[in-house]
Amino acid sequence: MTTAADRFWRRTEALLAEFPADVRLHRDDFYSQPDWDVYQMRYTSADGFRLFAWLSVPHGDGPFPAVIRMPDYASVHDIIYTPLRERAVVMNPTFRGQRWSDQVFQAAFPGLLTEGIAGADSYVMRRVFADALRGFDAILQQDQAQIGKLAVIGAGLGGSLALAVASRRDAVIAVAANTPMALGNPASLAPGLAYPLAELDDYLRLYPDRREAVKRNTADLDPLKTAGKITAPVLLSVGINDIGLCPLAFGEKLAAKIPDCDLRVYHGASEGGGHEHAQIQLSWLSDKLGLG
Amino acid sequence: MATEQDLQDFSTQVTCPDDFDDFWTGTLEMLSAISLKPVITAEPLRSNDDVHVFNVTYLSLGGLEISAWYSLPAQGDGPFPAVINFPGYKSEPPVRRDWGKSGVAVLSVAVRGKLKSSAEFNPGYPGLLTAGLESKETYAYRGVIADCVRGVDFLRSRPEIDPERIYACGSSQGGGLTLITSALRPEIKAGVAGYPFLCCYPEAMAMFQSYPYDELACYARAYPDQEERMLDTLRYFDAVNFAPRIKCPMVVGIALDDEVCPPETSYAAYQALTGHKELWLFPNSGHGNAHDYPGQERAWLEGQIGLTAVVS
Repeated sequence: MTTAADRFWRRTEALLAEFPADVRLHRDDFYSQPDWDVYQMRYTSADGFRLFAWLSVPHGDGPFPAVIRMPDYASVHDIIYTPLRERAVVMNPTFRGQRWSDQVFQAAFPGLLTEGIAGADSYVMRRVFADALRGFDAILQQDQAQIGKLAVIGAGLGGSLALAVASRRDAVIAVAANTPMALGNPASLAPGLAYPLAELDDYLRLYPDRREAVKRNTADLDPLKTAGKITAPVLLSVGINDIGLCPLAFGEKLAAKIPDCDLRVYHGASEGGGHEHAQIQLSWLSDKLGLG
Repeated sequence: MATEQDLQDFSTQVTCPDDFDDFWTGTLEMLSAISLKPVITAEPLRSNDDVHVFNVTYLSLGGLEISAWYSLPAQGDGPFPAVINFPGYKSEPPVRRDWGKSGVAVLSVAVRGKLKSSAEFNPGYPGLLTAGLESKETYAYRGVIADCVRGVDFLRSRPEIDPERIYACGSSQGGGLTLITSALRPEIKAGVAGYPFLCCYPEAMAMFQSYPYDELACYARAYPDQEERMLDTLRYFDAVNFAPRIKCPMVVGIALDDEVCPPETSYAAYQALTGHKELWLFPNSGHGNAHDYPGQERAWLEGQIGLTAVVS
């Protein structure tokens, strides 16, 4: 049976198909390092939006395993920062409105989560998921580095984007998602949450008559609706005290929907497992990517 | 992971310039000559039953307009104690509504370059840390620090705020700015500096290949003939040199697995404090993610404010 979420994702793919990615790379001499090169990467997403990504490429001959680190809910996405960058291609894509992808539209934080939320076509977060898919496609289209095994990772919104991409792209061989944002799930509309999810309740407090529109226009983004389509193994971390991104009950439901999921539950809040989990994730990713 | 012994064995090469106090006295004099011109605008979207939230703007060094989130308790007329919250390097300042029920106001400052304060100055991220490094007069952080000082001035100008009960906190860059601003504004009564950035630049940029400190290493690699001048400029903006000038009680929180702000460099700032001070060490924690830090920060500040028994 075709669901509303299926229709949303098909529509998203169709929007992307209207514009070729037109990937351009420019070596950044300032930020390139002795052991890897850093590139400024630009490509086109839905609506003709030009997006930016940081791309690092190790010295030596490929193919290289690759990690795409999806952006969190923040104005800035890091310049390359992962211990794997010496041995793997690392891409940090941004979404529309983040710095370096803000020529047309500058996102507000807080604010982006409800930008245009009253309408399905105007709700910016639906396009943010399109941007994530296009970022994935762009790394496969660039010609600077030959890509081998490819993992997608992220935290918060980045965790949700990583899961969404994995549900749509079979080339993903591993996913590491920390405290994925519950946007789209009814849990995200509960009162008493912390930011960023609390932005939704802020909006509904001011516009109570728009509750049904908010539910309808976010629902397709619910990670639970695409989790069953993920074929890659997933390492998922949640914090028992998280009320801003991935409430525990939501995280447990999500894990149950993912066919191959290693759920780690930690004492923390939105930081999930923090440093402890970062070490576990690094080891897990290295194993999945064949980095020893 | 760094050990406590590593922290104690560390010695920084950072020295304090002879004209350090003159430079900052002159900067504060320039600042005081600029009218604050505060504008306060209600933000009904962010306000709730506990907290009234406002957007605030005020003028800072160079006449730049700086924005901040201003959260006031919904109950009572004040004067309220206030916490000034300084932002991290890449994160936007949070809307702090968590203190409202406790009767505490919060000013969350968007220093120049943050989205809300970027109309006239926007070097970007990465970029802020190296903007204007050519001299202490042009370095971006002269303005960033002034923006924080000006936030204290704003609070002291408000009739609903108790000027004798202003406290400071922040993590990462916010931790460094907590230390620095507390040195420049003795009106701050106590502060908590988490995982402080802006400490011991020469060592920090060499210890890890992680940003933002690595921006400095990139700068030195790109302009090797200017590295010495860069390091000289940075001495005027190093929290280690501000620390001995802080008179109020201060906490420094350090994660021993911090891979962004080397624990040794944060510890050097703690060591340089000469007033009442406390050290919180978090083993098995990285930058900004010690599970217990937010609760400890809150409890300690509540004690200082007088909401609970003082935690010592």
